[in-house]
Amino acid sequence: MSRLEAKKPSSCKSEPLTSERVRATLCVLKGILTSSYGPSGRLKQVHNGLGGCVCTTSHSSALLSNLPVTHPILKILTTSMQNHVSCFSDCGLFTAILCCNLIENLQRTGLTPTTVIKLNQQLLRLCTSYLKSESCGCRILVDFSRPQTLLCLVRSIVTSKPASMLTREETDHISALVLRAFLLTIPDNAKDRLILGKSIIVPLKGQRVLDSSVFPGILLEMSEVQLMKILPIKKSDAFKVALFCASLSGDLSDTGEGTVVVSSRVSLENAALEQLLNLGRQLVSDHVDLVMCQKVIHPSLKQFLHMHRVIAVDRVGVAVMEPLSKVTGTPPIGSLGSISPSSYGSVKDLCPAKFGFKHFLHLIPNEATICSLLLCSRNDTAWDELKLTCQTALHALQLTIKEPSVLLGGGCTETHLAAYIRHKICNEPESILKDDGCTQTELQLITEAFCSALESVAGSLEHDGGEVLTDMKYGHFWSTQAESPSVVNWPDLLSRCGCGLYNSQEELHWSFLKTTRHPFAPQTCLPHEATGSANNLTLDCFTAKLSGLQVAVETANLILDLSYIIEDKN
Amino acid sequence: MARMVVACVSSHLRKTGDGAKTFIIFLCHLLRGLHTITDKEQDSLISKNIQTHRRHWKNCCQWKFISQALLTFQTQILDYIMDHYLSKHFLSVFSSSTKERTLCRSSLELLLEAYFCGRVGRNNHSFISQLMCNYFFKSMACESGFEEVFDLVDDYFVELNVGVTGLPVSDSRIIAGLVLHRDFSVYCPADGDIRIVIVTETIQPLFSTSGSEFILNSEAQFHTSQFWIMEKTKAIMKHLQSQNVKLLLSSVKQPDLVIYYAGLNGISVVECLSPEEVSLIQRIIGLSPFVLAQASSQYEICNTALVKFCKPLILRSKRYVHLGLISTCSFIPHCIVLCGPVQGLVEQHQDALHGAFKMLRQLFKDLDLNYMTRTSDQNHTSSPPTYKTSRESNPLPEIVSGLIQRPYQGTVVKNKGKLAKTQTYLKVYSNLVVPNVELETCIPYSTPKVTPTDTYQTDETLRCLPPTKTRIIDDSEPFIESNSANSIAENTGIEISYENLQVTKIARKGSMLPVREKSLEMCTSQSYCCSTLPAGCVLPVGGNFEILLHYYLLNHARKCQQSEETIVSMIIANALLGVPKILYKSKKGKYSFPQIYVRTLHALQTSQPMVSSQTGLESVAGKYQLLTSVLQCLTKILTIDLVINIKRQPQEMYDQDSEEEV
Repeated sequence: MSRLEAKKPSSCKSEPLTSERVRATLCVLKGILTSSYGPSGRLKQVHNGLGGCVCTTSHSSALLSNLPVTHPILKILTTSMQNHVSCFSDCGLFTAILCCNLIENLQRTGLTPTTVIKLNQQLLRLCTSYLKSESCGCRILVDFSRPQTLLCLVRSIVTSKPASMLTREETDHISALVLRAFLLTIPDNAKDRLILGKSIIVPLKGQRVLDSSVFPGILLEMSEVQLMKILPIKKSDAFKVALFCASLSGDLSDTGEGTVVVSSRVSLENAALEQLLNLGRQLVSDHVDLVMCQKVIHPSLKQFLHMHRVIAVDRVGVAVMEPLSKVTGTPPIGSLGSISPSSYGSVKDLCPAKFGFKHFLHLIPNEATICSLLLCSRNDTAWDELKLTCQTALHALQLTIKEPSVLLGGGCTETHLAAYIRHKICNEPESILKDDGCTQTELQLITEAFCSALESVAGSLEHDGGEVLTDMKYGHFWSTQAESPSVVNWPDLLSRCGCGLYNSQEELHWSFLKTTRHPFAPQTCLPHEATGSANNLTLDCFTAKLSGLQVAVETANLILDLSYIIEDKN
Repeated sequence: MARMVVACVSSHLRKTGDGAKTFIIFLCHLLRGLHTITDKEQDSLISKNIQTHRRHWKNCCQWKFISQALLTFQTQILDYIMDHYLSKHFLSVFSSSTKERTLCRSSLELLLEAYFCGRVGRNNHSFISQLMCNYFFKSMACESGFEEVFDLVDDYFVELNVGVTGLPVSDSRIIAGLVLHRDFSVYCPADGDIRIVIVTETIQPLFSTSGSEFILNSEAQFHTSQFWIMEKTKAIMKHLQSQNVKLLLSSVKQPDLVIYYAGLNGISVVECLSPEEVSLIQRIIGLSPFVLAQASSQYEICNTALVKFCKPLILRSKRYVHLGLISTCSFIPHCIVLCGPVQGLVEQHQDALHGAFKMLRQLFKDLDLNYMTRTSDQNHTSSPPTYKTSRESNPLPEIVSGLIQRPYQGTVVKNKGKLAKTQTYLKVYSNLVVPNVELETCIPYSTPKVTPTDTYQTDETLRCLPPTKTRIIDDSEPFIESNSANSIAENTGIEISYENLQVTKIARKGSMLPVREKSLEMCTSQSYCCSTLPAGCVLPVGGNFEILLHYYLLNHARKCQQSEETIVSMIIANALLGVPKILYKSKKGKYSFPQIYVRTLHALQTSQPMVSSQTGLESVAGKYQLLTSVLQCLTKILTIDLVINIKRQPQEMYDQDSEEEV
């Protein structure tokens, strides 16, 4: 029964951004995001008052998908960020905070949206072209012969997710595992086109994080009883595998649109079973050692195979079919009839394995790009976060292989970029002003808003009440311990910049991020030895960050451009 | 009422993809204009002691007359003015230097820029218009085939673009080839000579087809039939492989067995294609689906086509099928990948692009077709000789009105309306290019006067119109031809049916003139001449069209004798100004509306070239279409006298609406 309700008229609000309520909610959202940002970010506990699971996180995708957002403007913002995260996994919070900052700062300038958007777009273009250029001072080219850079990247990602609750030792362990898992997915003999394999994350809760490990091949989870049935496995140098995607349960296939008349003497079940047993006989005579089926295997066939010492595993599910076919090196079989010998695959070894309380059948491939990452964690929420973190890191590594460069992390890219833009606009404003009808003052206002938005993203990395500073040579980001004395010798108080590339013992001058300073040209072109020697850099994924920057500016422009919200309230 | 307006707007939008806002503004101004006019007339014409109820009915009648006058205007005066006065201001998107029509890229860019200005956020409108321009030039095989390109892109727009969320808009791009919105069921990397086939049924034979019975008598029989099915499938796939077929496109889901054998034979399979995708592929490469019956025999499969490449395309971790089709028509397949941070934005851009293609399609195609009927009316209506005719035949309406007056004893207003109508007849009569026997029999007293002037008039028009543009057709054949051949010219149909409708309505009322009405119908359908305006006419943006039309309409109204026509022309002319008024609302000083208006009028009077403050162009065809759509909508509104609200029967309401439209 549907209930009829009177239709409510649609509501139409003009100039949505000027409303106090919108500003307040935007501010709250920004507060939530800012406080979760970075390695020292605070965790958020998202739960429903009525019960259900509790989610402790600081990860943007978990946070944004759980936040109940009602206002259309905020909805645009959060969906935009979620879409970004689903594309790149990383840099979600960076994007969201930057977008909030931009909206706030640009609104405060009080200029017309047209000018704001036009200039914003120009500044963005300046940023992207600088970041992509050769002379960029915050980008490092990745040298794949030295895994150090990649390890730094992974470690930065793992440390920036504090909700996984890792100790330092655990962080190192997990980072190394993730990198190993990734390297296992790279094929040995890459031709012109590199096709990466897949790392499957296998959950194992209630174990120490340090028990996590990586295995080549696939771990198929099964009950102890099942495993005992399989044992003992006869030993041979290679195992012949038949992988079925067709059902082996003996039901009839599609018989078409017409009717099929079966006379009473005929039993189709028997006929189908007979066909299955024929298949079984063929498998046995072909010396198949392992039969795996995506769907169900008929118990009689299973029994038959078991009698002939053929291992039968059914209901593996569609998700592992692709990795399985890669591991065995053969496409799945879709026919119940005669099988050509070429359809069989093989694995190098087959062994039972027990981790914690779980039993697995481990398929070890001859050579394949599939590996299993066994992730252990003490509790559910930490495991969920750890899994997200590992996925993010793996994805970031994949993106890095496509575009082999990384950006300096720890806020240094942001401050450096801001310094670059300030300098550029101060010295050659004509390049931007030439074709638009904007004045120099307008340009300066927007530049200030844009750069301070970038800088305050960097500033939100500091949560413990310390001072945030930038140096006047490289434009990097520095932060101090909390409660530092007011008059100090900066080089003693500061040790290293945000990304860890420079230390404070050089002859540097610092200035507070919040204060205005004279525009300076930050040093471009990173010295090669500097990047090579440094072992403990904080790095960000280049592709994700660049796209995040673009999405943040575009979304901010989109939101600033809104002048009416028409809502159907029904 | 509002719903009807919305329906009108959306039908207009479906056709042209442009001008929804202008539609509303214009309609609004027209209605306001009408209101003031009718108020005045009421005061002067109707005595005060008539009750409100009666006045309501009066109003309705009056509105109906006005609506008929509007129709007359639309079919006759408007086209005439368009052809004679406005056309000299038109610019063309084709560069005129060469004899062949070549599209001028810069003017197309200006046109698109102006179009997207109102549809896509300031953020990226120039980017999108560049993208569209590039797309258009990339997918056009030769200069002459652009009409086909527009048709195809408009029809299959959904299939030709891919929306990706989560990436910045600036990542949008054009990729060569066709992207199918699904993944391979089996992918076997192949290179070299790749042939494809399209199937529309399952390759694996089934036990029974619909309407037939399959009788199983023994288990052995079951086994053999299954074996046969398997062998048959295997044989077909083998056969396909031997013909170098590397890709199978299927509109249905294929059984596992087929997929398996395809994989074994190195054939990639894409399943579950939508009918649109299949027909698009068929149109591009001219390939018909492969019929299974042929496959059993050993001879060659003829329904295959070559493709350049066939590979998976990964966009935002979603996999698509990317085909390099080799086109056999003038459309080189290209796809637009539209990126945007949120789904809504991507959809908005898609809609805008689709609208732009509609607008261009209209610009390059429909204009000359529409024009056939339009110009046909013009030739006779109001060119200088016609004035003479109407003046000369003035006694006739008087007589007629006198005749009507007697039986009806109608009010002055009614008479006026009738007068207008009879004038319409007269005009239609004067449309006759060739002296007509019927005409003579109908109105013997006026024919001697009318006919000679008419023939004279045609000569005159012949001379008036530039010889390159005009063809005068003097019998019914071409008209029928144009009507049947140009199925797109919906307008023609509508206009004619309206006219006929009007005629038959009157036929019912004024039973005294049966003969005449019949002949009138004949006349309207016979006397069509056509003059073609070259496709691709554009004007600078910023209300230029409106101001120009306003100016010429006022001129026309001044010359015009009949009050009804004058009033209608004036109303429309003034309403037209509403659009530029709003456009220049925010501008100040030199660019404020009065300034622009005065400057333009001055330029027109002294016949200097017009100065435009803005760059960007807009389609004349679109504007014309808009004007006629608005007028039609207005007449529809005016002919409705009472809105009856019925509850919970929206379906019936719709039926009525559609009846009215016919």
